[in-house]
Amino acid sequence: MRGLLTSRYLVAVLAAACFAVCAPLIPGMATSGNLSNLVWNMLPLAVVTIGEVFVLIAGGIDLSVTAIIALCSVTGALVMNGRTGYLAGNPAAAPVAVLFMLLVGALLGFLNGCAVTRLRMPAFIVTLTTMMFFGGFAVWLTRSANIDALPPAFNGLAGFGTLTVAVVVALAAHRTLRHSIFGRWLYATGMNARASLVSGVPVHAVTIAAYSVSGLLAAAASVLYTARLETGSPVLGQRIFLDVIAAAVIGGTSLFGGRGTVAGTLAGVLFVALLDNSLNLLGVSFFLVFTAKGVVILVAALLDSAAQRVLGEAVE
Amino acid sequence: MSLLLDRISKSFSGVPVLRQVSLTVAPGEVLGIAGENGAGKSTLMNILGGVFAPDTGGMMLEDRVYAPRDPSEAAARGVSFVHQELNLFPNLTIAENLFLTDFPRRQVLGLPLIDRRAAAQNARRLLDAVELPLSPDTPVERLSQGERQLVEVAKALHRDARIVIFDEPTTSLTANESARLFGIIERLQARGAAVIYISHALADVRRLASRILILRDGEVAATGPAAEFTEERMISSMVGRPIGQLYPKRRPLPSDAAPLLEACGLTHRDVLEDVTFTLHAGEVLGIAGLMGSGRSECARILFGLDPCDHGQILLSGAPIQRLSPRERIRRGLAFLTENRRDDGLLMPAGVLANLALVEPRSGGLESVAARVGVRCANLDRQPVRQLSGGNQQKVALGKWLVSPPRVLLLDEPTRGIDVGARAEIYRIIAALAETGVGILLISSEIEELTGMCDRILVMRRGEIAGSIARPDFDREHILRVAL
Amino acid sequence: MRNNIAWIVLAAVMLAGCGDKTAGTSAGTIGVAFETLQTEYWVASRDGIAAELKKRNLNMLEAIADGDANRQFEQVRNFITRRVDGIIVVPKDAQTVVPMIREANRAGIPIVLFNRPPAKSDARSVTVVADNFSITKDTVAYLADQALKAPGKRQAAILIGDLGDINAIARRDGFEEALKPHAGRIEIVSRIPTEWNQEKALAGITNALQAHPSIDLIFVSSDLLLPSVVSALKSRGRYLKVGEPSHVVLGGFDGDATAYRMLTEGYLDATGVQDVGFDTAATVQAVVDLKAGKTVPETLLDPGFVIHRGNLAQVAPRMWGAGVRK
Repeated sequence: MRGLLTSRYLVAVLAAACFAVCAPLIPGMATSGNLSNLVWNMLPLAVVTIGEVFVLIAGGIDLSVTAIIALCSVTGALVMNGRTGYLAGNPAAAPVAVLFMLLVGALLGFLNGCAVTRLRMPAFIVTLTTMMFFGGFAVWLTRSANIDALPPAFNGLAGFGTLTVAVVVALAAHRTLRHSIFGRWLYATGMNARASLVSGVPVHAVTIAAYSVSGLLAAAASVLYTARLETGSPVLGQRIFLDVIAAAVIGGTSLFGGRGTVAGTLAGVLFVALLDNSLNLLGVSFFLVFTAKGVVILVAALLDSAAQRVLGEAVE
Repeated sequence: MSLLLDRISKSFSGVPVLRQVSLTVAPGEVLGIAGENGAGKSTLMNILGGVFAPDTGGMMLEDRVYAPRDPSEAAARGVSFVHQELNLFPNLTIAENLFLTDFPRRQVLGLPLIDRRAAAQNARRLLDAVELPLSPDTPVERLSQGERQLVEVAKALHRDARIVIFDEPTTSLTANESARLFGIIERLQARGAAVIYISHALADVRRLASRILILRDGEVAATGPAAEFTEERMISSMVGRPIGQLYPKRRPLPSDAAPLLEACGLTHRDVLEDVTFTLHAGEVLGIAGLMGSGRSECARILFGLDPCDHGQILLSGAPIQRLSPRERIRRGLAFLTENRRDDGLLMPAGVLANLALVEPRSGGLESVAARVGVRCANLDRQPVRQLSGGNQQKVALGKWLVSPPRVLLLDEPTRGIDVGARAEIYRIIAALAETGVGILLISSEIEELTGMCDRILVMRRGEIAGSIARPDFDREHILRVAL
Repeated sequence: MRNNIAWIVLAAVMLAGCGDKTAGTSAGTIGVAFETLQTEYWVASRDGIAAELKKRNLNMLEAIADGDANRQFEQVRNFITRRVDGIIVVPKDAQTVVPMIREANRAGIPIVLFNRPPAKSDARSVTVVADNFSITKDTVAYLADQALKAPGKRQAAILIGDLGDINAIARRDGFEEALKPHAGRIEIVSRIPTEWNQEKALAGITNALQAHPSIDLIFVSSDLLLPSVVSALKSRGRYLKVGEPSHVVLGGFDGDATAYRMLTEGYLDATGVQDVGFDTAATVQAVVDLKAGKTVPETLLDPGFVIHRGNLAQVAPRMWGAGVRK
C-alpha cells in the first residue's frame, strides 16, 4: 500500500485503475476507436499543460494561457483566412501563419514574464490582468466573430500533425527539465527564489523564460485546436484553464513551485481526458457531470497530497 | 514521580530515531537535556507533546498511564511547552494569545460570551509572574523577540502546568531576559512543577539542572546528577569522543599578504556609514557587533544583494560595485547567508542538487560532500529539510566550495548547530584560509571570533567603531566597543 | 489511506450506476450534445428532447460542452466512436460545428442541429431553428402599436445578444425591420450589446436610461436578460404595469418562466415564443427520418408565435415557460 501510494506514477496507476473499472461497464470504452479518441483528445491539452507546468515549477502561475490560445487563434486566422486574410490564397499562408502564431504566443509569454519580474507583483494578479487584456484584445480584433475559411493545409495539421507536435513538445520539455541547466534553475527558483538569487541563479531571466515557454506552448496548442475546429475563435479554450491546472496538480506539480515532471503531467492529462471520456460515454446526466468530475479530481489530489506527506515525513 | 518514560523507541521510514530511551523527572526537579542536532531531542519532545506516538515503550504521568493522542490531550494533562520557534500570532494582543483556546467566559442570557475583564485580570497576573511590565492589550507584533519569548512562557504557565518543557528558550533572549527566565524556572520548581530544560547552551543547562541527561544517536549516552558533569564531559558524551581543540591552530598571517577585497567608504543611508577596510589573502577577518549594527547589511552590500549610495568595492584591485551578484560570484565572491532556511538552501531538494546550485556544470559533487563532512542517508534523494542543522549548514557552505572562491563572506556560520558540526566548519574555514582564500567572518559569538580570526572589526550603528588585532583580543574590550 | 481508495472505487461504481440502464431493450441510441444548460430555455429543450426520444423508445446519451467548442468537438467524436444511431447538437457557434458535421458525415451518422444553423459549407446536416427574424418582427410590431397609442415622438432601445450568434443577429434585424415603417415617430436611441450576459445587460440598460430618461420602448433579445431590465427600471421608478402613465413598453423573446409571470402580472407587453414542443418533436423526427433514409429539408423552420396580453389565455399552454415551475 505504502509502496503504491508513494510511487511517483500514482496518477498513472489511478488512471489505469479508472479505465479498468469503467471499461467493462461502458460499451465502446475499450475499443481502439475510443482509445485513439482519448489520446487524440488529450494531446493539445497536454501541450498547454506542459507549458503551464514550466511556470508552476518556477513558482509562478500563468492564468493567461487560455487568453493566449484565443489571441493566437484569431491572429493566425486573420493572417491566413481565405476571405480577408493578408496572405489569402498564398500557398505559404499556412506555414507563415503557424510561425506567426508561435511568435505571438512566445511574445505574450515574454511580456507576462517581464511584468511578473519587473512589477514585483504576484503572478496571479499580473496574469489575471493580462488574461483579461489578451482575451479582450482577441474579441476586439474580431468583433467577437469567428473566422472560418482557413487554408486546407492548415486544417490538415489536426491529424497526424497533432501527434507529432505533442510528442516533440513532450520529449523536448522532458530533456529540458531533466538534463539542462535551465531546468535545474527552474526547479531552484521555484523551491527558493531568494536562495537561488544569492547563489547566482539568474532568477529574473529564468522566470521570463518560463513564461515565454508557457506562451509558446499555448500558441502551439492554439494551432492544434484552431486546426481541428477549422475556425479562428476569440473565445477558443476559454474554459479549459481548470482542466490545465487540474491535470498539472494531479500529475504531481506543486502549486508552490519546485516540483513537477513531464511524465507526471502526461499522466495527469490522461486522467482528466479519461474522466471526460468515461463520463461522456456513460451518458451521465448533465447535472451530475461537473459534480462527479469535481469529486474525482478532489480525490486524486487528496491521494497525491497524502503520498507527499508519507514521503516528506520528517526524520527529525 | 511526576513523569516516567520507559524504554521509548521510535523510527521513521525504518530509520530508528529513538532507541530505548528511559527517564524520570520528580516534582520540583529540573532535568537538563543536551545532545547534538539529530540526537533525537525533538522527537522525544514530540512524543511527550502528543504529536507522535512511540513505537514501543510507555509513559506515566503522576502515576497514571500517559498516552496522549494529540497535543490538546497533552495540554489537558498539564504538559506545557515553551518552544524554540515562537508560536504566537503577531497581529493579536498578548491577552488574546494567552487565551487563544480557552478564553474566560460568562453567561449572558444563556449565551457564552468572552469575559474581557476576567481575561485582562488573568493576563495581568501571568505577565506579573514573568515580570513583563506590559499591558495585556499590546499587540504581540510590537514586542521584541525576548519579550515574545516571555509571553510564550506566560502561556505555558497559564494552564497550571505540571510539567513545563523549555526547548532552546534562550536563543533570542538578552542576558537580562535570560536571568529573568531562570528566576521563573526556579519559582516553578518551588511550586512543585517538574521542568525539562533543553539547550545547546551547556553552561545554562549545568547551572539550572539538578540532573542531566545526554542524548546521542537516539540513545541515552550519559545521565546523572548535574554536579557530576563538567562542560567537557557533556561535550564528549554528546559527540562520543573527546572533541579536543574546538578551534584549529592557525599560523600567523604573513605581513606581505596581498589585499584581496577592499571596501572604501561604503555608505548607505541609515544602514552603513563610511565603512572602509581591507581583507587580505589568507586572512580571517572578523566582524563583531550587535544585531542591527550593520554587520549583515555590510555583507549583503559587498555581495551586491542590497543597494549602496556611495563607496567603492575592489576585488583584487578591480571595482565590482556595479556588478550583479551573479557576476561577483563569477569573479570569486561567495556568501554564506545568515539564514540557511530562507536564503541558503533548497529545502525540498537533495544534497547534490543544492551543491550544484552555484556551479551547475561542475562535477565531483560527491567529493565536495565528503570534504565538508555531510552525513545523510542518500545524497541524491533525501531532502536537505530532513538533515540536522549542522549538516544543512555544511551543505550551504559546500555549494560555494565546488569551484574554490577567492573571498568567502560568512554570516553567522555556526548559528544553531551542534558542537561537532561547529568544529568541522571551523576546520574547513582554517583550511580555506591556509590556501589563500580571504574570509570575512560575521558572528555574534565573541569566542568564535577570538578563536578563529586574525583581526576583528567591531561595528556599531553602521560604522566601524574599532579594529583589534589578534594579540589584543579581549572579550570585555570587544563588548565595550560594540555597545 | 485505505479510505481514499475505497472512495475512488465507490465513486466509480456510482458513476457506472448513473449510466443508461435500459441498454439492449431500446430501438437505438441518440447522442445529444448541448453547448450549455445554464438557462431555463436549454433545460426545457433538453427535457423536451428526452421526452420525445423516450416516446420512440430511443436511448439518450448526453453531453454538455460548457461553452467550449473544442470540448463539444471531442464529445461529438465520442458519440461517433460509440456508434450512436444519430446525433443532435446545439452548436456553440455556426463555424466550429462544421468539422463536427463532417466527422458525422464521414461516419454515416445522421446529425441534426437544434436552434442554431451552421455556416455555409459542403457538410450535410439538418437544422431545426425558430424563425427568429419573423417572430421578432411580429413581436416588435405589436410593441410599436402599443407605444404609438400615445401621441408624440417615441424612443426605443434594444438589448442585443452575442454578435457571434446568428439568432442574435436575426433578432436584431427583425427589430430594425419592424420599426422601419415608424421611422418618423419612433427613434432607436440605444443598441446595447450584452453577449448574453446579465451583468453587461444591466450596466448597458442603466447607462442608456441615464442618457435617455424618456425611453418608452425596450426590446430584450432574450427573456434571460429581463431581470436586468427590471432592476434598472425599478431603480428609476419606471417599472410600471401596462396602462399606468409612463409605463415603458417592454417586450422579449423566448417565452420563459419570468416572461410568463411578468405577462400575467401585467408588466410585460409581449414576448416572441419559440415553440419548444414543435422544435423538439421536429428535431427527433428528423433524426429518425434521416436514419430511415428519408429525405429531410436542410432547414425546418419553427414559425413560433407572439404572446401578449390579448391572447395570453389561449396560447399560454403552448408557451414552454408557463410549464416551468418557479
